Amino acid sequence: MKWYAYFAWKQLFPTGRKLSFFSAMSIFGVALGVTVLFVVQSVMDGFQHNIRRAIVETQGDVRVESQDVECQGLIHGTDNLVSFLMNFPDVAAVAKYAYGITMLKCGGRTAFPMVKGIDVENEPKVVDLLKFVKHGSLEGLDCGGIALSSDLAVKIGAAVGSRVEIYSPLMVENSIDGDVILPKTLEVTMIFETGHHNTGRNTVFIAIDTLQDFYNIGDGIHGIALKVKPGVPTEKVAFALNQSLRYPLVAASWQEMNRDFLFALRMEKTMMFFVLVFILLISAFSIAGSMLISVIRKTREIGLISAIGGTVIGCSMCFFLQGAIIGIIGSTIGIIFATTVLCFRNVIVYSFAKLCGVEDFMLRFYSFANMPARYGVGDIFSTMAFAITLCCLAAVVPAIKVARINAAEALRSE
Amino acid sequence: MSNFVAELRDVHKSFGNTVVFCDVNFAIAERDTVSICGDSGSGKTTLINVLGLLEPPTSGRVIWESCEVTYTKMSRVARLRSKIFGYIFQQCNLIPELNVVENLMLPKRIAGEAGEADVDFVRQLLRQTQLTKFENRAVSTLSGGERQKVAAIRAMVNRPRVIVADEPTGNLDEKSANLVMDAIVGLCNSCGSALLLITHNKRFAEKMQTSYVLTNMRLRRME
Ligand SMILES: Nc1ncnc2c1ncn2[C@@H]1O[C@H](COP(=O)(O)OP(=O)(O)OP(=O)(O)O)[C@@H](O)[C@H]1O
Ligand SMILES: [Mg+2]
Repeated sequence: MKWYAYFAWKQLFPTGRKLSFFSAMSIFGVALGVTVLFVVQSVMDGFQHNIRRAIVETQGDVRVESQDVECQGLIHGTDNLVSFLMNFPDVAAVAKYAYGITMLKCGGRTAFPMVKGIDVENEPKVVDLLKFVKHGSLEGLDCGGIALSSDLAVKIGAAVGSRVEIYSPLMVENSIDGDVILPKTLEVTMIFETGHHNTGRNTVFIAIDTLQDFYNIGDGIHGIALKVKPGVPTEKVAFALNQSLRYPLVAASWQEMNRDFLFALRMEKTMMFFVLVFILLISAFSIAGSMLISVIRKTREIGLISAIGGTVIGCSMCFFLQGAIIGIIGSTIGIIFATTVLCFRNVIVYSFAKLCGVEDFMLRFYSFANMPARYGVGDIFSTMAFAITLCCLAAVVPAIKVARINAAEALRSE
Repeated sequence: MSNFVAELRDVHKSFGNTVVFCDVNFAIAERDTVSICGDSGSGKTTLINVLGLLEPPTSGRVIWESCEVTYTKMSRVARLRSKIFGYIFQQCNLIPELNVVENLMLPKRIAGEAGEADVDFVRQLLRQTQLTKFENRAVSTLSGGERQKVAAIRAMVNRPRVIVADEPTGNLDEKSANLVMDAIVGLCNSCGSALLLITHNKRFAEKMQTSYVLTNMRLRRME
């Protein structure tokens, strides 16, 4: 070991004492900064990942929709289009859909959900609908059943087997003409839960034929959802489709459809990073400050080391290495802290919530039942490297100050 | 060929307009014992700093082991210095973060050649100065005299050709001053180093083979 590395180590961890106060504080500061930075970035990443997954799982990879406003975005006579899409390169599955707003009634309780008519056979091939089934099964939809989100089921007090009345906006239009259309009664055959309240919380599913019938739109659909073969970029397929589709048909990947939202998510993470970096910056500044004081306190020792054969550059290196050591130890402890916190994050969050009496807040405000977190080895190394670099930079100033010390003057200093 | 370990020829030193000394010719030979006396502020410390090139002379030549080193690169000077000079200061400058043995091994570590043999050598010197029991003590728990003895051993660890002691007993009472002085002389004899002693104490100065006085910017030899 080079003498200055040894000396740097001993300055931080003097013989006989466990830890110097300066190193304890500095290491703790860096560790704290790294912990907060890493935990927050991992949780942000987790949210981002979950939201993206929730979008893909509930919307499909690519959607083909019509931009024609005149016929309310409806596409008619879709057999050719469906077979064209089926045979399109890199497309794994297709499913038609149509949707509308409806009023739902069960007992005396009502709700105004979005009703989506799905192709019962093909929909599960495009989105992971089966994954979300909580009670009942999807097949029931074909025999005039309806699938409710669990939130909605709770809200109107329905369960599998309950009968719900569904009202179409057409009823209002027709009643003006004097006709009376009675509401349709459907049996709840499935209850699903996506775990993400924006996607699917206020949605009900019925078979597409039922919906077409109910809304009197003939064979009209609102669009076709596509599943892309694994590993193929969805944007690429959407682009290729747009080359061959003619107006008013337009293909959009899920990234494109949610571009603003995804951008906001990324932006949020970046902003959080910038805010939290200040914790690390502050600890770097305090390290620089303490080290400058220690340079002044140790001027005589620096002179002495020159007198016993050390170079001033070596002394300067010694201070630089102190910064590096603080960075390495601090960031390692920080990562250990952070991974522990992340490991017990749900316990921590729930005990905290319990303490404040807001146990369901996670689901209410953050859309997910559990707090997500996501990190990899790369994240660990980049966070550590970042913290260590900051500490080294902090040590550069004291190191430069040492390099300018004159040995003879240092020996004279009080 | 002279057998001088370190030499100053026609050395002049000034800080800005203040002349500290001029026309200094001085040499110390192997196993020599030399004392330099002089009033406070006469430039004794400056003289040894120039001799060890901790400070450059304003003019004149510094010669170590018959080689001129006045304008040699600092890193080379640092290496040579640790072979030729061992320093003892008035304030003994032990490193508080290290214990006694670690302090004593520091010059070897800096030279990059610390080994088992050196630890044995350090132990032997500690025994010679009756400091064995302090081996693993923190330096802050030692008395002034003990510290100065440890500093003396540290100066000896690299087996330098000259021990330069700048008022090593300045902070001590008569009794511990004698003990420390005995230890320094004993160590120099056993290791074959020359001793360059700067002191205000006439008695110690008289014990040296050669004595100099620094007055009126000149170095004069006392007969
Ligand atoms: N860097 C400097 N700049 C200006 N003057 C200096 C500097 N270093 C030393 N001097 C001056 O040089 C003179 C000699 O100082 P030096 O320390 O060598 O004296 P000394 O003989 O060792 O004194 P003492 O016995 O008190 O230790 C003093 O007048 C001091 O003020
Ligand atoms: Mg002096």
